[in-house]
Amino acid sequence: MTARGPKANYKLGRQIAPYLYLSPSLIVVGLLMLLPMAMVIAYSFQESAVLRPDTSFAGFRHYRAIFGDEVFWASLWHTLYFTVASVVMHMAIGLAFALMLNSDRISPMLRSVLRVLYILPWLFTQVIIAVIWRLMLDPNGVVNSILVDLGIIGSKVAWFSSVETALHAVTFANIWAGYPLFMVSLLAGLQGIPKDLYEAADIDGATGPQKLVFITIPQLMPIIVSISLLDFIWTMQVFPLIWLTTGGGPIYATEVLSTYTYKLAFSQYNLAQAAASAVTILLISIGLTLFYIRHQKAR
Amino acid sequence: MAEVVLENICKTYGNSFRAIRDLNLEIADGEFLILVGPSGCGKSTALRMIAGLEDITSGHLSIGGRDVVDMAPKDRDIAMVFQSYALYPHMTVFENIGFSMRLAGKKKAERKKRVDEIARTLQLTELLDSKPANLSGGQRQRVAMGRAMVREPAAFLMDEPLSNLDAKLRVQMRAEIASLQRQLGVTTIYVTHDQVEAMTMGDRVAVMKGGILQQVDTPKRLYDAPVNAFVAGFIGSPSMNLFEADLSRGTLQTPGFSLQLPETVLAERPALRKYDGGKIVFGARPEDLYDSTLASGRSHQTVPAEVVSVEELGSEHVVHLRLDATPVDSGDPDAVEELGGLSNAVARFEPASAVSADSRIDLAVDCAKLHFFDPGTHLAIR
Repeated sequence: MTARGPKANYKLGRQIAPYLYLSPSLIVVGLLMLLPMAMVIAYSFQESAVLRPDTSFAGFRHYRAIFGDEVFWASLWHTLYFTVASVVMHMAIGLAFALMLNSDRISPMLRSVLRVLYILPWLFTQVIIAVIWRLMLDPNGVVNSILVDLGIIGSKVAWFSSVETALHAVTFANIWAGYPLFMVSLLAGLQGIPKDLYEAADIDGATGPQKLVFITIPQLMPIIVSISLLDFIWTMQVFPLIWLTTGGGPIYATEVLSTYTYKLAFSQYNLAQAAASAVTILLISIGLTLFYIRHQKAR
Repeated sequence: MAEVVLENICKTYGNSFRAIRDLNLEIADGEFLILVGPSGCGKSTALRMIAGLEDITSGHLSIGGRDVVDMAPKDRDIAMVFQSYALYPHMTVFENIGFSMRLAGKKKAERKKRVDEIARTLQLTELLDSKPANLSGGQRQRVAMGRAMVREPAAFLMDEPLSNLDAKLRVQMRAEIASLQRQLGVTTIYVTHDQVEAMTMGDRVAVMKGGILQQVDTPKRLYDAPVNAFVAGFIGSPSMNLFEADLSRGTLQTPGFSLQLPETVLAERPALRKYDGGKIVFGARPEDLYDSTLASGRSHQTVPAEVVSVEELGSEHVVHLRLDATPVDSGDPDAVEELGGLSNAVARFEPASAVSADSRIDLAVDCAKLHFFDPGTHLAIR
């Protein structure tokens, strides 16, 4: 056995130190995320996964089953609509409010009050948001009363129970709940834009809207892209809000991938197909995450 | 090109702070005027008011004969170079320079022609596709100049455009800007706190302090005939040495030495006689104090001085001295106390001088070149 010199020990110590620091989090991530993920992937290729001890390899049968299911495609379409509409509106409302809160035309006092008011939706959990909007959008709720009184609608609408309106209603509730993240991030971004860029643009002859298009939005673009991608990933996986407002109904009108998977697993006890659906969601999420990481690296 | 006229311009902020008081300036067509002064003197505020980036509280401002007080910056026919350059970071050099033309709805071919022309003048052709982040300080400065030039304005406004550059590049850019201004012949107002820039670049220099214009004159006149002790101390590097003395029958008396003023000095400044028998402030430029051993042939008187330190610069020695006299503060808030109070005077000696630190010398003073100021008002006595 050769004795290691102090120099070699020091070098080895330096090499393994980062892994030692990382090891607690790596163990937790491994046990609580990677292992369950691997198990779900394995279930998606098994017959009667979890329910029976004698499982056999099913190949892509479960994937073929869900891809052949109309409800899956409807769920995918609803998920896309719900996510895209939410992200776009989160961004638009967040930017509008951030611009307003950053404006010198509003008194500092009013700005402080509005800042608290606008951030309120962020304080509520999804369960509270679901309860609030179920009450507000109830046929006898305040929204219907106001719209009827204003003459905008002729009769009361069951927003969450109508096939025509349910998906728009849950999307609306999600938009209301999610814009503060954009607002806060964009406000921080706006405050970081050097004032002299606007002064230079003033001298160059830019109007207010031109300054927004040529200075503000390009300067905010890294934040807009980062937050939009994160929001896309998070919104795609929203479950409690939809489950507690519509449960995916009526007649699958608000069925999204998360509720579709949940129902496969815990209503129909088809855990293998649920696993295949979950893996599909996982693949879409991985694709978006890779895109996000590439964008972050490019920055 | 145009004349810029400021009449009784005042600027008062919401908290009643008066940044500018009754500023009157006439900048001739094609003139290069430097606005100089210590931090907080109101020079940048004055420039920003001319640009339209700050409201004018009262007074009149005209550019090219048009009253522009209530006009937006874009309508004033001016272009500005900012201290930070304020280049649009997401745009290329080409887009930065051509931005105002794009906003004005000019066609791409026309924009390209004009931007290429300016890029050639400023040696930026190779960099037209680069973003500001990839440029050096000097290149960014040139892009900022290009952005101003593309507008073909009536007047250029420059707010400390060289302050972010290192010393060597600053000297080079100083010459480039001055030469470009002469070549273009555009009225230019240039703000700086660096009196070397002020003295070397402008046709005239306006010195400000506390929001009040102190003196506006050619660099030479400012140096030779400052109107008050502040201008005397601010213009010139190192600063003019200012001391308090008693004046008695043409003799300046300090605690440690006396200087007999030549008849010519008294004849040129008849007002001096009023101070006879009282206090007076006198000033001597560092180059008018020299090593008496090297002063042969020059008319001088000597005073005893202690050498505190010597900076050998090659072309000259900057000698920090202690004289037995009470120094006077010129009122420059940016001035630093001489070597923590150890010395109270600075002289520029020829490199042949052999003086060394901690020695006592006879300091030669050219009394014909002394400056005199009222001890109360600090105004020049002439």
